[in-house]
Order: sequence, then C-alpha cells, then structure tokens
Amino acid sequence: MAEVILSGLHKAFGQTKAIQDVSLTIGDGEFIVLLGPTGAGKTTLLRLVAGLEQPDAGTVAIGGWDATTTPPSDRDVAFVFQQYSLYPHLTVYENLAFPLRSPIRAMKEADIDAKVREIAALVRIDDKLNNQATRLSGGQMQRVAIARALVRSPSIYLMDEPLSSLDAKLRGDLRVELKRIQTVLGATILYVTHDQIEAMTLATRIGVMDRGQLVQVGTPREIYTDPVNMYVASRLGMPAINFLPLSVFPGLSAPSAAKTIGLRTEHLKIARSDSASAMGKVTWVEHLGDQDYLHIDVQNHDVVTLSDPDSGLKTGDMVRLTPALPLYFDGAGNRVRA
Amino acid sequence: MTGNHIPDALANRLATATPPKLAARVRGLSDKAIAWLFITPTMILLLAINIFPLIWTIRLSFTDFRANRTNAVVKGIGLDNYTSILTDPDIWAAMQSTAHFVFWTITMQTLIGFTLAYLLDRKFRGHGFWTTIILIPMMLSPAVVGNFWRFLYQPQIGLFNYIISFFTGVDPSSFEMIGSVTLAPWSIIIVDTWMWTPYVMLICLAGLRSIPDYIYEAAEVDRASTWRQFWSITIPMALPFIMLAVLFRGIENFKMFDMVNLLTSGGPGSTTEVASITLKREAFEKWRTGFSSAFAIILFVTVFGLANIYVKALNQVKSR
Ligand SMILES: Nc1ncnc2c1ncn2[C@@H]1O[C@H](COP(=O)(O)OP(=O)(O)OP(=O)(O)O)[C@@H](O)[C@H]1O
Ligand SMILES: [Mg+2]
Repeated sequence: MAEVILSGLHKAFGQTKAIQDVSLTIGDGEFIVLLGPTGAGKTTLLRLVAGLEQPDAGTVAIGGWDATTTPPSDRDVAFVFQQYSLYPHLTVYENLAFPLRSPIRAMKEADIDAKVREIAALVRIDDKLNNQATRLSGGQMQRVAIARALVRSPSIYLMDEPLSSLDAKLRGDLRVELKRIQTVLGATILYVTHDQIEAMTLATRIGVMDRGQLVQVGTPREIYTDPVNMYVASRLGMPAINFLPLSVFPGLSAPSAAKTIGLRTEHLKIARSDSASAMGKVTWVEHLGDQDYLHIDVQNHDVVTLSDPDSGLKTGDMVRLTPALPLYFDGAGNRVRA
Repeated sequence: MTGNHIPDALANRLATATPPKLAARVRGLSDKAIAWLFITPTMILLLAINIFPLIWTIRLSFTDFRANRTNAVVKGIGLDNYTSILTDPDIWAAMQSTAHFVFWTITMQTLIGFTLAYLLDRKFRGHGFWTTIILIPMMLSPAVVGNFWRFLYQPQIGLFNYIISFFTGVDPSSFEMIGSVTLAPWSIIIVDTWMWTPYVMLICLAGLRSIPDYIYEAAEVDRASTWRQFWSITIPMALPFIMLAVLFRGIENFKMFDMVNLLTSGGPGSTTEVASITLKREAFEKWRTGFSSAFAIILFVTVFGLANIYVKALNQVKSR
C-alpha cells in the first residue's frame, strides 16, 4: 500500500476537457470515493492513476516516486473496470489466477490456488470457479472483476462503480466486506460510485467532481454539512436538498450576498397552521416504507422533506415553515457563510 | 419433420412483409404455396448442378465407363476401381505430393500471414496503404500469376534466380526452379504462398481486430508483459480465426489444380503431380471415367472427413 499524490492533472480528448487541474492526495490506507454525474471525468481520473491514459499536464506520484510516465504494468495498481473487462476465453478461476501468475511475482501454484479460493469465497463466486467468464450474469461478472483486483495487494485499488449491478442485499454485504478488507489490510482505495450510501459509509473522504474538476474534497460529514456550493450540496442527502429563493422567507436575517437558501429536512421546522401565517400546503405524502416524504408547495416551489411520523400531516394541510440554521448561497451558487 | 417448419416460418414472415397490393394479387395461393413457389427454383438448380452429378459420379465409379467411347457396353465391375486405386503406388505418390504441398503452404501462409496481420494491427501510419498493397496478389487471376512466375523462374533472365544469386552468391543459371526434381515442388509452394498469404492475413487481421482493447488494458494493469499478453490473450483469442483460415486454405490446396497445371503440369517426371493433376490425367487424357470417378469420390470423402474432424475441433476452441 502506498500514498498516491495527483497534482495539477489535465486531460483533454479533442475538444472535451475530461480532467481540469485536479490535485488530490490519497493517503496511505485512505478510502476516497469520487462522486459526480455521468461524464464528470471519474473514469478518466482513475485511468490516469493507472497509467492507461497519459495526462496532458501534471504528475502522478505513487509511493513517493514520480510515476507519470511509468507504464501501467510497472505501477502495481489494481483496477476494477466499469465494464468488468474479464478475460473471455478463460474460466473464472483462470481470470482470478491471471494477475498472480505474473512472473514478477513468482508465486507458487499452491499459494495461487489458496489465494484464488479464499477471495472467490469472499465475494461468493466460489461455486462458479470453473465457469467460462462469459457464461455469468452481470452481477457475477462484476464479482469476478472485484475478486481479480482483491487477489492482489497493489499500491492502490482503483474501483469504478464496482457494486453497480448487484442486488441491494449483496451490495450491502459486499460494501461491509470492502470496508472490512480496507481496514484490515490498510488498503488505499480510490472508488467511484453514484450511490450515496456507499459514499457515506465507505469513504474516509469524498471527492465531488463536476465537468472535469474536483470541486470539493472532505469527509462525508463535511461534504454533507458544509458544502462549498449548491452543486456539492445537491450531491448528498435523501431527499435532496431544497433550494428556494431567499425572498420566500422575508423575515430571515441572512448574509447580505445570499440569494438562495438551501434547506434539508433538519433545517426545517414544520408546524400545522391555518389562516394568514400559513406559507405552504402539503400536496402529497410519499410512503417509502420505513419513512415518508412530505411534498409541500411553497409559492409554487416543491419542497420535499422527511416527515416526522408524529406530526400527523396529510395531503391538503396548511403549514408554516421556519428555517433553522440553513445553508446560504450567492447568485453564482457559491456558499455564503453566515 | 422440422423441414416443414422452415417454409412455414418463412411464409409467415413473407406474408407479414408483403404489402397489401401484392398480397391481393397473389390471393388464392396459401402462404405455404407461396413459400414453395419461391424456394423451388433454387432447389431445382441445386439438384441439377450439385446433387445429381454427385450421385451420377458415385454410379459411374462402380463401372468401367469411358467417356470417349459412349457406344461401348458399360459393365458394372463392383469395387474394382476402388481396390485398384488404393493399391496403385502412383496414386499414393500423388497423395503424398498433395499432403506435402498442403502442409507447407499452410504452414508458411499461416506464419507469414499472422505475422503481417500482427504488424498491421499496430495501426502505424499508412497501415491502410500497406494492407492494400499486400492484398494485390490475391486479387490477380491465377492464369496471370502462373505465367508471370514462369517468367520470374526463368534461369537465364528470371528475376527470382537473379535475386537468389544476389543474396547467396550462387550462379543464377546454375539452378532451375521449375525444371529441377527437388526444387519444382517448392516453386509451386512459393507461388501459392505469395498469392494466398494475403488471404490468411486478412482473416487473421479480422481476428486480431476482434480482441477488444480493454482486454489488453486489464492485462496491462495485471502486470502481464507484452510477451505474456501475446501468448495468453492474442493467440488464444485469435485462434478460431487462424483455424478458419487454415481450413479454407487446406480445402482449397487439397484440390489445387490451376497453379500446378500452369507452372509445372505435374513435372518434371511426376514430382509435382498432385491428386487433382492425376485425376485430370485419368479422366481426360486416359479417359478412364469410371476409374477417375472412384478417385474423385475417394478425394471427396477424404476432404470431407478431414474437414469435419477439423470443424469439430474448431467449434471446441470457439466455444471455450
Ligand atoms: N477515449 C475517449 N475519447 C474521447 N472522449 C472521451 C474518452 N474517454 C472519455 N471521454 C470523455 O471525457 C469525459 C469524461 O468521461 P468519463 O468516462 O471519465 O466520465 P465518468 O465520470 O466516468 O462518467 P460515468 O459516470 O458515466 O462513467 C466525457 O465527456 C467523455 O465523453
Ligand atoms: Mg465512468
């Protein structure tokens, strides 16, 4: 395991600026999760670390030495590809043994066998070891791809949406397993996901990407409670944060530059109210099983919050909303601190 | 019978695909009748030019029929033709020449063809241009190629002898490719390789292009050297294509006639007399039609049998 330092990375594909001035230090044993919409450049960043792409500018340092021009095979990184990239002509067993058979390692066949079986059991693919890699379901292929990375102990694991095609139960199990492996082995991991829960539970730090740029890096808590702009704020939280023009709440003592107010469930006090003091109307209560989403119409803005089960609010009720320590943003969408 | 389902399905598809106007015009015919209407001409053609001659040849192979004496009484002679072929040393010599020829052309064409394909797959600048240049021999008519190489092989003025002498220092007129007993088989192998290596290359290139880049990326990250990637990814994944090229060339060269006929006509002596040349001599010079029919059947069964075994192996590799 090693520390990986990216500094000033740029990468363009023709006119598309896939990565713009990204600097990030992934500490030894750190689990960094990259969040961002499709096309933000997450895969490209991983490929730059692996050496599958060459940066236009900037450097990649792995374990203290400059690896910017080092070919992938000499970087000692493990990659779980978004599209699995299994060796189609080999069995699952041979796919897992492939990285271990590298002459650089000179591993004994018995050790290889033990390792393959151990990891296969870990990701629960041990009953498919003799299957052709192409004769698997999507979820099984994905587990083989994860296992092929886990058999190794590289300087860094690069994982591109590794749990995306698994069912909820298995995804939860493997999430816990990954976290355990990372803590036990002290593995350094750079991980891409679209799943908030994965980001919140796995990451030591989250990096939020937008159009090739790393907008904010911080602990899951920081990203959630202290986002630098509206874009980052909207990445985390279920239901998503509500943005309203400040004019909706005229009496509020907001910072002078503030134009928009960001409200999560915990930023709102909702009370049933009638007559003149009412500001909104409950338009819909969405039952999601363990929790209810409350949709409130506030001057034609749809505000969605988690409903307090004891509130007894129902469709058609008139309510009064009081912001409590909300987030403020200026006209450009950047955070304004009170 | 499954045979009935195919026209049915076809007819259904035709019926749904037929525009209303046409459907109205052919009304009165059932869907099945329409299907048969379309299929019958092809069937008749197939029967007339493939199946019938085959059956006729089998029939003739048990007789002493001679095509230049159509008035003579034709006698059935049982398996006599077959036994005399299988005990004829000349026939066995011809089979041996054929095997030698097939083996060396395939070996050389596969090795050179695959190497060229591997180089062209590097996608260097101008690889499209070089691909086109390499393909030219394959596009020429065998008659042109044969006469052209006869000229090149000329010991006094031929370019081939000149080039060999340039590199080895031997006197160009001291050897004769076509005229020499030892060199004549190689003169044909060289020409066939020159002409058909591009074909093998093209199939190998298709095979190499079918290997997605991400497989190599995964291998690269898994720390496999270029050498290891070649042996554990490139070769196994391109193997079905290579085997297909070998099959095509093998069948083709087993019955190779034109190039041999043009270059050596089987000579000198009978050193380059491959099976197809023998067959032609028996059938159209000695006019032993019954005998040559039997020989043709034996050749057919041999190719068919070998090809079948080979295709089984190919499918096994492909389904891996
Ligand atoms: N090989 C390439 N050639 C040209 N453009 C590319 C290439 N790879 C990526 N891009 C472009 O770079 C941008 C970033 O792509 P990237 O694959 O990194 O996105 P991503 O964040 O991984 O998205 P997703 O969540 O959909 O996987 C996109 O606009 C994409 O079109
Ligand atoms: Mg991606």
